[in-house]
Amino acid sequence: MRKKKICMVGDFSVGKTSITQKFVNNVFSEKYLTTIGVKIDTATVGEDKLIVWDVAGRDSLSPINASYLVGASGVILVADGSRSSTVGGLLEIWQTVTNRIGSVPVVVALNKADLDGWQIDDHSRALLDQQGWDVFATSAKDGKNVEAVFKKLVEIMNCKES
Amino acid sequence: MLEANLQQRINAQLLDKLQLAYICVDSSMTVVEVSDNLSSYGYNDIVIGANVEECVDFMFGFDAQTQLDLPMVQSPSGITISVSLLPSDRLLTVLISNASNQADQRQLLQQKANENELLVERQEKLLTQLEQASEQLESKNEQLEEASRLQTSFLSGVSHEFRTPLTSIIGYTNLVEQSLQCPTDKTGSDIQQKADHLRAVQRSSRHLLSLVENLLDHGKLDSDEIMLRPKTTNLVELFQDVELLLKPLSDAKHIELTINLDIDDSTIVVIDDSRLRQCLINLLGNAVKFTDHGSVSLTADLSGDFLSIKVADTGPGISDEDLQKIRLPFWQAADTGKAGTGLGLTITERIIELMGGELEVSSVLSEGTQVSFQIPAPMLMDQECAKVLNSKQSLADMTVLLAEDDHDIAALMVVMMAERGVHLTHVENGALALEAMQSTTFDFVLMDIHMPVMTGYETLAALQQANNSTPVVIMSASTVEAGRMKAESLGCYDYLIKPVDVDDVIEIMNHVALDKDADHTC
Repeated sequence: MRKKKICMVGDFSVGKTSITQKFVNNVFSEKYLTTIGVKIDTATVGEDKLIVWDVAGRDSLSPINASYLVGASGVILVADGSRSSTVGGLLEIWQTVTNRIGSVPVVVALNKADLDGWQIDDHSRALLDQQGWDVFATSAKDGKNVEAVFKKLVEIMNCKES
Repeated sequence: MLEANLQQRINAQLLDKLQLAYICVDSSMTVVEVSDNLSSYGYNDIVIGANVEECVDFMFGFDAQTQLDLPMVQSPSGITISVSLLPSDRLLTVLISNASNQADQRQLLQQKANENELLVERQEKLLTQLEQASEQLESKNEQLEEASRLQTSFLSGVSHEFRTPLTSIIGYTNLVEQSLQCPTDKTGSDIQQKADHLRAVQRSSRHLLSLVENLLDHGKLDSDEIMLRPKTTNLVELFQDVELLLKPLSDAKHIELTINLDIDDSTIVVIDDSRLRQCLINLLGNAVKFTDHGSVSLTADLSGDFLSIKVADTGPGISDEDLQKIRLPFWQAADTGKAGTGLGLTITERIIELMGGELEVSSVLSEGTQVSFQIPAPMLMDQECAKVLNSKQSLADMTVLLAEDDHDIAALMVVMMAERGVHLTHVENGALALEAMQSTTFDFVLMDIHMPVMTGYETLAALQQANNSTPVVIMSASTVEAGRMKAESLGCYDYLIKPVDVDDVIEIMNHVALDKDADHTC
């Protein structure tokens, strides 16, 4: 079985841990508990064993610790669709990623698609489109597109390797 | 040897005291040495000779030269650790320390900070929503104020519009009543004067009726309830009716009203005549109202199954700015001093659209205004026209039943129909109508809806059940479309709104006679 390290990155409280836990353990909690440092989990997608680094979110005081990214083969950029600032912030976070580990395979999860206020404004949508990223509207709560995000990333990573 | 063991024990105690653990790997990432206390962090399966990437998840992806600090990594035991990768010439030492205290403190602070930031974000969002809601409220308030202003102006306009014909009706009926109380003067001029007064009453009543119709139609416009009911119509007669109705208004203002028709007298088209009449009265009525000098003309021609109509006046004209607003409901030019409801043009435009046309308005200030439209009006073939025209001869032979509980209306209908040579048998409710229809065969039934004992609907249902196909025409004061649809579903022949125009009844009877003839011919 091939092993791959991937990182979940994004602003704080966008649902990185929720998506990871939904994918790895099929659980979801409404309670918000901020991640400190990094939590490491493993999951299997086809022939690949993923080592998922759920990295603490960026906040106004602390940037993402790029040391956690070293050795990653791919990245899932996570934003909260009901907070447009977190969508706009993905470009800066991607800059941090590429500065440290180069342009690795990436997919975008616009999370909390189950919320009423979930709406991607035209400006944010244009920003994402310009990057040419694969973008998924996800919901860790009801599981929408959670598996699809990981599968897509694995597909891109395998494609790059071959 | 003893010294080495002692040193080893001291080192182990020191590591435990400092909560430090370590793994040493060679250049191929093979484990060469581990501290005994690694299991306290949940790393139980690390054996000498194993590949560190296989047994320690956080080591995957690194090589022996990697120098890195990984603060606060959650270990398999749940304890948060800090990891330092320290490469040397031949070995990579992975130093693991307990960071749980630091992590707990950080957790408390970070959780609070993040929650506060989320709160601020939510507050900002709410404030934005509040501002938007406030703006919407303000705009809604302005709209309501404007609506209130329009309503006030509308009510005042309606009140004025109603008072004018009502004043005329009350005044002229008083005059007629007074003259009846002093029946000494029976000269021809007196009779002529009474006839003039009654004509004025009739004119005002018709005007009132058209006002009421416009008001009701406006309510229906929003709910798309206005429906067209095309029927065979003699266009020339229709235009003559309209001219007769408006002539007194134009004469009173000393302006010329001309109707120019390029249509053959015997031309019959299929069109909703009452809606077309309503549009023409609205357009010509507006033209006459706003023209104080000169003339108002209507030009109509029929070609290729399309009826083109143009109404032109020599009134004050409409400014470009006002031209944009004239189609809005309740809108009225501020400085004309002419009363009105501001609904006529709105309704006319909508009806013309329903008929498949488009109302065009052009105007030049101080010169006048032109409105025009073209609508489909399929012509009947000569043979069919002849049938429609000839059918008007045979009504005297028809037997007609009237079911109406209002004695005044019933008496009026009996008299007016008698004047046209038609004899009516009158009953007061649906049950009596059914009884009468059992003993006598009627060619035609006129029936009210709201009657005691048995309503019009119940009577229609009973007739339908008995397979009685006598044509029944409903006369109802209700303008609700659902009433018409219910009556039609129960098989009524036609549906007239009160006050019923006797000419409309005669026309329907002509159709009934025509249908009967056609059946006989077949």
